[in-house]
Amino acid sequence: MIIDITAQGGFGGITAAAMKKTIDVDQQPRQMQQELCDAFEPRELQRLTRTPCPDCADRLTYRITVTEGQENPQVFTLREDQLPPEMLDLIDQM
Amino acid sequence: MCLSLGCSSPHNPLNCIVPPHMLRVMALRGDDKTARMARSLLKQNAALRDERAEHVSPPPPAQDGGTFAPHAVSPAEGLCCPDRRIHDGDGKAALPGRLVRAEGDDATGDADVDLAYDGAGQVFSLFADEYGRNSLDGAGMPLIATVRHRRNYNNAFWNGDQMAYGTGDGEVFRTFLELSVIGHEMAHGVIQHSGGLIYENQSGALNESIADVFGALSLQRSLGQQIHDADWLVGRGILGPGINGVALRSMKAPGTAYADDLLGQDPQPWHMDHFVTTTEDNGGVHINSGIPNHAFYLFCNYIGGKSWELPGQVWYRALQQLNNPMASFQQWADQTMDAVTAIAGRGTIEAVLLRRAWKLVGIAI
Ligand SMILES: [Zn+2]
Repeated sequence: MIIDITAQGGFGGITAAAMKKTIDVDQQPRQMQQELCDAFEPRELQRLTRTPCPDCADRLTYRITVTEGQENPQVFTLREDQLPPEMLDLIDQM
Repeated sequence: MCLSLGCSSPHNPLNCIVPPHMLRVMALRGDDKTARMARSLLKQNAALRDERAEHVSPPPPAQDGGTFAPHAVSPAEGLCCPDRRIHDGDGKAALPGRLVRAEGDDATGDADVDLAYDGAGQVFSLFADEYGRNSLDGAGMPLIATVRHRRNYNNAFWNGDQMAYGTGDGEVFRTFLELSVIGHEMAHGVIQHSGGLIYENQSGALNESIADVFGALSLQRSLGQQIHDADWLVGRGILGPGINGVALRSMKAPGTAYADDLLGQDPQPWHMDHFVTTTEDNGGVHINSGIPNHAFYLFCNYIGGKSWELPGQVWYRALQQLNNPMASFQQWADQTMDAVTAIAGRGTIEAVLLRRAWKLVGIAI
C-alpha cells in the first residue's frame, strides 16, 4: 500500500509551506505497518470525511491518496480537524 | 466612577483611586505583586457592581439609530481581566496539552509560553479597553492556547475553543508566536462569537481580513504606534532565515510581503480587478483578504492618529452589526459606512475618506 499526503491552506495560505509525503507501507517496520493500515483504511477515511467542521479558520486541508496493489488509487480530502490527533501524530512521524 | 463602585476596602487605597481601565492595565503589565493586587481589586469591583445591579432597574435599550445584531455584544458589565491558560503540546496533536502557565502565574522563562501568555493579555486588553468586550465571546471566556502544537508544524489556528501555535519547521517558518499572529487567531474567536463569517470565498476572505486587522491593531497598540509609523505587516519575522521576505502579508502593499524561490510571490491582490478565483484555500480566503485589508489601511492612512481608535471602532462596530455570515466585500463595505456614520456622523470627513478608501480598491459605496 502506498500513501501520498499533500496539504494546503493554513494561516499562511502558502502551499509550499505545507508538507508532501509518500510512504510505502510495505517498507515500514511491522508495528508501523499495522498502525498505518488501520489509520489509512479507505473505509475509515471515508467515514472521517463526513465529520462536521464547525469552525475551520486557518486549518490545513489534507489530500490523501491510498493505492493498494493494482487497484485504482482512492483519493480523500480531509480537513485537519476531521483527523483524530493520533492520526495527525502518525502523519508527523512519517 | 470610583464612587459608583463603592469604597468598601479601606485597606486597599488603590480601589478608590485607580479607575478600572487603569487597573486592567496594571493587571496586565504590572509586576507580579501589582498585577495580583489589581486583579483582586477588579474582581472586587465586579462583585460590587453585580450587588448594585440587583437593586436597580435595567437601563432602557440604547437609542443609537440601529438595532444590534443578535450576536452583538454590549459593552460588558463587570469587565475584569483575562483568564489565560497556556498549555504545552509537547509536539503532539492532542489539545490542549499540559497546562504550563495559568492566569497570575510568574513568567516561566520559556519564551514560547511567555509570548503566548503576554500576547493573549495584549489582545484581551485591546478588545476590553478600546471596545468594552469581555474576552473573545464577550462573556469572559478563558483564553486557552497551546504552544508547540505538533512537530515542525507550519501553522497557527483557532479551533473554535482555543488557539494553537506550531513551532514552524525552521525552514519556511521559524515561529508563530508574534503579536499580530496571536491577535489574528484570537480575532477569529471574536468573529465566531459575533455571528460569524462563513469560511469560504468572499465571506471567508472577510473573516481573514478582519482577523488581520485586529492582529495589526493589537501590535500597533502594544507599541504605541501612530498609523504613519506602523509597518502594517502581518507576521513580521516569522518566515524562516533563508526565505526572501519580511512577513506573511502586507496590508500597506498586498502582494509584496515575500518573493522567494520556494514560496513564490506573495499572491495577495489589493484591487477587485485582481480578485483571485480559485477552489484552493477555501476559495482563496488568505489571498483575497488583501483587498479589504488594503481598504482598512487606506482609511487609516487618510485619517492618521491611532489605528485602534476611530478606524478600529468602525471595524468593530461593523462586525457587531453585520448579522450576515455570507457577507460579500460590498456588503461589508456598506456595513463599515453605516458604522462610521453612527460613530462620526453622516457626511463627515471620516465618512468621505472611508468611501474613498473602498473606491480605491474597486468597491463603490
Ligand atoms: Zn486566519
